[in-house]
Amino acid sequence: MRSGNAALALAAAFGWAAAELPPPAPRLVWSGPEVTLLGGPSRDGRHLSYVDAATGHLAIRDLASGRGRILTQKPAGSREFAYFSAISPDSRRVAYAWFNEEGYYDLRVVDLDGSNPRTLYRNEEAGFIQPCAWTPDSRSILTLLFRADNISQIALAPAEGGPPKVLRSLNWVYPKRMDISPDGRYIVYDSFAGESSGDRTLYLLSADGASEKKLLGAPGNYLFPLWTGKRVVYAGDRSGTMDAWELEIENGEPRGAPKLLRRDLGRILPLGITAAGDLYYGLRSGSVDVFVTTLSDPKGDARRVTLRFPGRNSMPDWSRDGKAIAYLSRRGSENFGQESRAIVIRRLDSEEERELLPKLAHLERVRWSPGGDALLASGSDNKGRGGLYLVNPETAAVRPLVSEAAASFRGFEGAWSSDGQRVLYPYHEQELRSRLVSGGSEATLYRGPRLHGLAVSPDGRWVAVGAGGKSIALIPAAAGEARLLPFDGLTELEWGRDLMAGRGAELWRIPLDGAAPLKLAGPGNRQAGFSLCPDGESIVLTAGNAKSEVWAVALK
Amino acid sequence: MTFWPLLAAAALAGADTLTIPAGLDAYLPVPGSNPLTREKVELGKRLFFDTRLSRDNTVSCATCHDPQKAFTDDRPVGAGVGGRSGDRRVPRIVNRGYGKSFFWDGRAASLEEQVLQPIQNPKEMDLTLAEAASRTGVPVEKLQQALASYVRTILSGDSPYDRYLQGDRDALTAGQRLGLRLFRGKAGCTSCHLGPNFTDERFHNTGAGRAAGDGRYAATKDPRDRGAFKTPSLREAARTPPYMHDGSLQTIEEVIDFYDKGGKPSPSLDPEIRELHLTAEEKTALAAFLQALNGKVRDGM
Ligand code: HEC
Ligand code: HEC
Repeated sequence: MRSGNAALALAAAFGWAAAELPPPAPRLVWSGPEVTLLGGPSRDGRHLSYVDAATGHLAIRDLASGRGRILTQKPAGSREFAYFSAISPDSRRVAYAWFNEEGYYDLRVVDLDGSNPRTLYRNEEAGFIQPCAWTPDSRSILTLLFRADNISQIALAPAEGGPPKVLRSLNWVYPKRMDISPDGRYIVYDSFAGESSGDRTLYLLSADGASEKKLLGAPGNYLFPLWTGKRVVYAGDRSGTMDAWELEIENGEPRGAPKLLRRDLGRILPLGITAAGDLYYGLRSGSVDVFVTTLSDPKGDARRVTLRFPGRNSMPDWSRDGKAIAYLSRRGSENFGQESRAIVIRRLDSEEERELLPKLAHLERVRWSPGGDALLASGSDNKGRGGLYLVNPETAAVRPLVSEAAASFRGFEGAWSSDGQRVLYPYHEQELRSRLVSGGSEATLYRGPRLHGLAVSPDGRWVAVGAGGKSIALIPAAAGEARLLPFDGLTELEWGRDLMAGRGAELWRIPLDGAAPLKLAGPGNRQAGFSLCPDGESIVLTAGNAKSEVWAVALK
Repeated sequence: MTFWPLLAAAALAGADTLTIPAGLDAYLPVPGSNPLTREKVELGKRLFFDTRLSRDNTVSCATCHDPQKAFTDDRPVGAGVGGRSGDRRVPRIVNRGYGKSFFWDGRAASLEEQVLQPIQNPKEMDLTLAEAASRTGVPVEKLQQALASYVRTILSGDSPYDRYLQGDRDALTAGQRLGLRLFRGKAGCTSCHLGPNFTDERFHNTGAGRAAGDGRYAATKDPRDRGAFKTPSLREAARTPPYMHDGSLQTIEEVIDFYDKGGKPSPSLDPEIRELHLTAEEKTALAAFLQALNGKVRDGM
C-alpha cells in the first residue's frame, strides 16, 4: 500500500483542503540486514537494482512482490562482485560495475531478466568505475572513471561497447553523484565549491563538453544531484540538517531560487527518481559506539567510554600504559563514501577527551606507538593516496610513512614493533613488510595471499597475520619458519596477554600451541575494531547496529 | 540566493568546432565574454606570426613560441627585440586553454590578460598597445581576443601514453610501462604532474633554478610561496630542453637526477620533494616514459 493514501486519509480526517495537503510521508520500501545501496530504481518504478550482500552478485528486486533475482554469474570460489548499477530508461537493461578476476572494475550490462550479459569496457587504467545514469536515447551510459593518478573523469560510455568519451577531469575529487537531463543536453554533478573548500556544490556541464557552470553559490554543502523533468533534486545542509532541495533548470540556466522539498531526511543517499516522480533513497541509521568491558564478562559489564557524539564512534585503540584510548568519531554532514572522521583521545584517569583533526582525507583506524608519542593511522591523504601516516597526538601533525596512489583509500593495515622502531604492514595484502620509522628502509618478513589482520606480541617475539582467510601465520620476529594456525574467516587480530581474533561479530582466543581456538561470549552486535588493555583483563570494542534502508517519497 | 556563472558558458559559435585530440577533456573552458570563433582564431594565428608586433619588426610570438618545438624555443631564457634576454624559460604553450593561471608565477588570471603582456614587455616585443593596434590595424580588444582564442586551440594529445590509456597495451614499451608505474608510485611525480595535462595547476618550490627566485611570492607576497613556480605540463617536454623556469637543467636525465636527490634545499621546499633512491634502471625507465608524452601538436580550427 502507498502511504500517499494514508496522507490523504489523514488530510480528510483533519478537514484540510486539498491545497493544504501535508507533503506525502516517505514510505519504507525495503529494510533488513540484506539491504545494500549501490543501485537504483527503474524509471517505471517496478524494480530496484542492488548488490546481493551474501554473494556479491548483481540482483534486481521486484518492488511489488519484494522478490529478488540474481542477474550475474561467476565461477565458484571467485572473488568477483558487482558494485554500482543503473537501470536503462526503458527499464530493460542494467549497467553495472563488476570487480573482475584481475582485480579492477569492468563496465558491464545485462538485461533485467539476466540475459545478454556483456562487458562494455575493460581497462586497468580506469581501475574503478561508477555508472550513474543512461542517456535518454539509451545510447550511452554516464559513467565516472577513477584513474590511477587519483583523478576522476566524467565520461559517456557507449552502450554498444568501446572507449568512453571523457568530458571532464577532476583532480583528487570525485562527484558523489551525477545525472543527465531528460533532453540529454546537460549533466549535473557535485564537486568541491573551490580550490580549498571542503563543501560541495553543483555544476552543470553540457553533454557535448562545450560549457560548464556552477549552479549554486550560497555557502553550504550540496550534493547527490538527480534530474527529474525540468528540476534538479539534491541534498543540502544549509539549514543545519540534510534536506532535499530542488532547482528548476531551463536551457542550461537556473530558473528562480532553490526550493526546500523536505526537511531533515537524515543520512540519505539518493538512488534515483522514477517517471512518476518518486524519489528513492537509501537511509543509514542506527548507532555504533565504543565500550569497555572485561574478557570474563564481555556482555555483562560493558560501559560506553566515549563522552561526546554518541553513536558515531568506533575503532578504539588502548595505549600501552593503559591510561588512554584513541578512537575515531564520525563528523560533518558527509553522508556516504569517505566520511570525515576525527581522532578522539580519551584519558581514562580523568573525564577528559581531546579531539585531533589531522590533515587526512580518510582515517580507517589508529594505533598507539609503544611509547605513546605517536599514532599510526591507516587511511588516505588529501590527494587520495592511501597508506600509513604518523599522527602527532599533541599537534595532529601528519607525516606520511608509506603513501601511494595505487593503494585503497583505507590505506594499509599497520602495527608497531614492540620497541616502536618499526612499523609492520601487509603491502597490498601480499607481502608483510617491516619499515624503519626513521629512515624508511624496509625488509620483507613474509609473503602470502590475502594477508589481512595483523598483530605483534607485546614481548616482540612474534608477528601474527591472517593468511588467505583460512589461517593465521605466526612469524618469529628473529627469523625462522612461520607456523600456520588454522582459523577460518578471520577479520581482525589483536595481541594482549593472549592472541585474540575477530570473526565478524565473534571474538576468539587463539592458543599458540595449536589447541582449538576458544570462542568468547562477546556482544552479538560487535563491529570491527577492538583493542586489549595491558592489564590482560579489559577490552575496548566497537558495538552497535548500523542499518541501511530504502525509502521512497513522492516529490510532486 | 544568487547564482553566478563562474565557469562561464563557452560553446563554439555556429558550426565551428574544435577537434580535441585523444587524451584531453572534451570540455575546454572558454570565457563567456570571448567565445571561440573561426574568424577570431584565424586572425589570432596571423597575429601570432606577425613580426610587426615588435619594436624592430624582428620578433613575433612564434619567434619564442616556435610551432616546430611545441611552441617553445631551445634557449634557457627567452630572447626578444634587439637580442635582449628575458628572465625566464619560454614555456611550451600547449593545452593552456585548460590552465587556471598563466606565467610561471601565475600572475595572469586568464589568457586574455596574458597575451597583451609580451607585446608590452621591453625585453620581449616592446610596443605600446596603441602602436600594436595601429601597426596591425586591429583594435586592442580584438587583438587580445584573437590571440587568446588562437592560443586556446594549441593542443597536444594523441601520444603513445594516450593510446595506452585507451586500452592499447602495446602503445608503451615495457620500459615505459615501468616508468609509468614509477611516475605514479615510487617517484611520486603524480602528486603534482597529474591528469590529462600532467599538472595540478598549483605552485610548488622544488628548489629548481640557479638562484632562489621569488616565484609565486611576487604575486601573493606570502612567504610560503617563495621560490614556488607553476607545475608545467609534461606533454612534449621530453623533446624540448632545457628545463625549469630558468632553463637551468639541460636534459630530462638531469631533471630526473635533480628529483632523485630531493630537489635543492630551500626553506620553502615542497614537502612532496624528497630523496627518491631510484636505481639507474628506474631513472632510464622514467625518462623513457616521459618520451611517451610526445604526441601530436595541433593548432587553429
Ligand atoms: C621574447 C620571447 C617571447 C615572445 C616574443 C613571446 N613570449 Fe610568450 N612567453 C615567453 C616567456 C619567457 C614566458 C614566461 C614568462 C614568465 O612566466 O614570466 C611566456 C609565457 C607565455 C604564456 C603563458 C604560458 C603559461 O603556461 O603560463 C603565453 C600564453 C604566451 N607566452 C603567449 C605569447 C603570445 C600570444 C605572444 C605574442 C603576443 C608571446 N607569448 C610572445 C616568451 C615570449
Ligand atoms: C611538488 C610538486 C612536483 C613533483 C612531486 C614533481 N614535480 Fe616536476 N615540476 C614541478 C614544478 C613546480 C616544476 C617547475 C619548477 C621550476 O621551474 O622551478 C616542475 C618541472 C618539471 C619538469 C620540467 C618541465 C619544463 O617544462 O621545464 C619536468 C620534466 C618534471 N618536472 C618532471 C617531473 C618528474 C619526472 C617528477 C617525478 C620524479 C616530478 N616532476 C615531480 C612540480 C613537481
